[in-house]
Amino acid sequence: GKNEYDLLVIGGGSGGLACAKEAAQFGRKVAVLDYVEPSPRGTTWGIGGTCVNVGCIPKKLMHQAALLGGALKDAQHYGWNISQPVHHTWSVMAQGVQNYVKSLNWGHRMQLQEKKVKYFNIKGSFSDPHTVRGLTKAGKETVVTADNIVIATGGRPKYPNQVAGAREYGITSDDLFWLKESPGKTLPVFILYISLECAGFLTGIGLDTTVMMRSVPLRGFDQASHMSKKNQICFTTQQQMASLVTNHMESYGTKFLKRCLPTKVEKLESNRLQVTWKNADLDTEETDSFNTVMWAVGRAPDTKSLNLETVGVKTNSETGKIIVDANEATSVPHIYAVGDITEGRPELTTTAIAAGKLLAQRLFGQSSELMDYDNVPTTIFTPLEYGCVGLSEEAAVQRHGSDNIEVYHAYYKPLEFTVAERDATDCYIKMVCLREREQRMLGLHFIGPNAGEVIQGFALGIKCGATYSQIMKTVGIHPTCAEEVTKLRITKRSGLDATVTGC
Amino acid sequence: KAHIDIIRGYGKFTADPEPTIEVDGKKYTAPHILIATGGCPVVPSDSEIPGASLGMTSDGFFDLEELPRRSVVVGAGYIAVEMAGILSMLGSKSSLLIRHDKVVLRTFDSLISSNCTQELENTGVDVWKHTEVKRVTKSACGLLDVTVTSAMPGHKPTERVIRDVDCLLWAVGRQPNSEGLCLGQVGVQVDSKGHVVVDEYQNTTRRGIYAIGDVCGRALLTPVAIAAGRKLAHRLFEGKQDSRLDYENIPTVVFSHPPIGTVGLTEAEAVAIHGKDNVRIYNTSFTPLYHAVTQRKVKCVMKLVCAGKEEKVVGLHMQGLGCDEMLQGFAVAVKMGATKADLDNTVAIHPTSAEELVTLR
Repeated sequence: GKNEYDLLVIGGGSGGLACAKEAAQFGRKVAVLDYVEPSPRGTTWGIGGTCVNVGCIPKKLMHQAALLGGALKDAQHYGWNISQPVHHTWSVMAQGVQNYVKSLNWGHRMQLQEKKVKYFNIKGSFSDPHTVRGLTKAGKETVVTADNIVIATGGRPKYPNQVAGAREYGITSDDLFWLKESPGKTLPVFILYISLECAGFLTGIGLDTTVMMRSVPLRGFDQASHMSKKNQICFTTQQQMASLVTNHMESYGTKFLKRCLPTKVEKLESNRLQVTWKNADLDTEETDSFNTVMWAVGRAPDTKSLNLETVGVKTNSETGKIIVDANEATSVPHIYAVGDITEGRPELTTTAIAAGKLLAQRLFGQSSELMDYDNVPTTIFTPLEYGCVGLSEEAAVQRHGSDNIEVYHAYYKPLEFTVAERDATDCYIKMVCLREREQRMLGLHFIGPNAGEVIQGFALGIKCGATYSQIMKTVGIHPTCAEEVTKLRITKRSGLDATVTGC
Repeated sequence: KAHIDIIRGYGKFTADPEPTIEVDGKKYTAPHILIATGGCPVVPSDSEIPGASLGMTSDGFFDLEELPRRSVVVGAGYIAVEMAGILSMLGSKSSLLIRHDKVVLRTFDSLISSNCTQELENTGVDVWKHTEVKRVTKSACGLLDVTVTSAMPGHKPTERVIRDVDCLLWAVGRQPNSEGLCLGQVGVQVDSKGHVVVDEYQNTTRRGIYAIGDVCGRALLTPVAIAAGRKLAHRLFEGKQDSRLDYENIPTVVFSHPPIGTVGLTEAEAVAIHGKDNVRIYNTSFTPLYHAVTQRKVKCVMKLVCAGKEEKVVGLHMQGLGCDEMLQGFAVAVKMGATKADLDNTVAIHPTSAEELVTLR
């Protein structure tokens, strides 16, 4: 018989919703399934996916809350009379953030309605290549059939199952953003950048925070099996950037336990958590108590419940992620996948959205445009933000050879930091270029305030093939941090001091 | 460190056959002389506006030791906007008097002029339109009484007095510091306002004498002066004969609240050059994520001006949180001739305000 829908999207997150809404623009009959499996702690949320509910949005808002704490301290130097110390109330922030997220859930529901996209709050699984069935919360079975199916179910945080008590007593980012009460003295355990971001804002709002990491900051990405070598996201091999970011965090009060591996988590009578770990440097066992332990040790897709084997959709045996080609097509005709669930793609909202839109345009809009995963800009919203686009220095060396690249860099001081007497030793810019002729820009790395806002325009520049000389020809905007990019003169090769002095 | 001799004092050209500068009786010559004397704020003369000299300029503003209780800023350019904004946000009851129009920043894109005027009012600055100062007198308690006339189009002019003003700030323009230089002695031409006339290589009308920066009256910005100065040095001393600054597509920021970023042509300029049919405008207005949890909501507005079939970006204008740091990278792209398609092909960074520029529909 005929399929009920032209397009069925499984997963109402960034990629899924973008694809569904775009397809609806072409007048197609579209349905979206979205379902949130509660976290082990019982946290759950509405439509919109990771970004809206437990990712980018609440993270950036809490990061902002922490920045405001810093600004309140600076304000004194600028003449404002604010009695110190200023205190932060978690529940007020949490309520504001959670209300906003709920308004976004509502907004997405309204948009789906307006665009006549049918929404099912069910957890779907395949029964054949064009049929998905699932149970509603009330236990009613629903069957949906479609000509084309897009899997966009994303991923969830992993637990370190080898650590006793990890799942029972620890939380993840899924839970952190929905806590109604302060997490108190917190131990984020690190592999992913999200733990640095969380540690950063937790410290910023006044909480005692210690990051535990197995090796050195952000190096873990080299080993991360879900990143293919082809798609070099710049924060993979950035030891220099990583150490500047964490240096800054350390000078502002975040504690770091480096080369430490947790072995067990136990609950104490006081309801605090006793964490025991192995210190690899000292070869000793250490322990301390915390209110909260947050795991940020990786994310994994939830593909088991989808029943992919039934229809033959191939996944990567190690990561569990769905294998797709440049068309976002899986091994099964008419079944596609976008977003965090796909193997070898960046785990970013923006690439999921772009890929989802382009897929809909190819399926229903007579387009043949493929998603370009090169030169994807990103920003890590740690207290001192790190924005980047293009290749890391190491990736450029690997690709072109160290003799064929030129690296320009500078340590600069944001003007706002001067009166506020803030430490600017970690504010840094690095531009990686080809060495020959006009010196095309291969990558730009910026550590400083507002990094996200600074990098976007340069990402456009890289797309246009901007060269070092073109950037130097662009007049700087004064006084800003961004202009420092147009003032880069010192090369790493020269060995000269890269500290910017004066105007 | 750079082994440059500093000679302190006022210099002027002499009547000697070779260009010569005299400072406190001592004479100096050089094969190359660069005039970079900048400018200073304009104050209307007391004959034009009686009591004008009782007011101060931005020079005096930075010398203030206390916050003025009551401020009146006269002017509609970016300096007036920035000063009025600072005074108001720090707690001074402030008024801004615009002589000719009902918006500030008239030479900026219309989106910016109207939005900036609105935002000034939103932050508590009392904006008086079509209003000019008639006279300034000392008030009873030693402060200033500022008499103004407002001439709304189609209405009779009305006169009012703003009493007990602690700070009257003239921000009505800047003039070049060229008068005392005796430029006539060496045949260096100036325009009717006193700006030193230069060609695109910064040559004045006398061989061996050059001028850069505010004294030339074009693009009065620090980075422009710095860049022009460096380019000149490369041309004169590194043999780079073609070294000169390109004055097109210079990005600028106004530190209003929130800040403004702009580069390239305004919509009106683009239409005048390319014709209305060849200009496509992309607009957006949104509330930045920062305001998700605040009661106060300040929007961000953005406009992209594109020309021609390939939709080359010829102008970019925005006002909102972060626009000051956002602009630099986009300025590079505009200078390179980026098109709307290039912006569409750039992946966004999320969550930022800048991403709105690459997702315009």
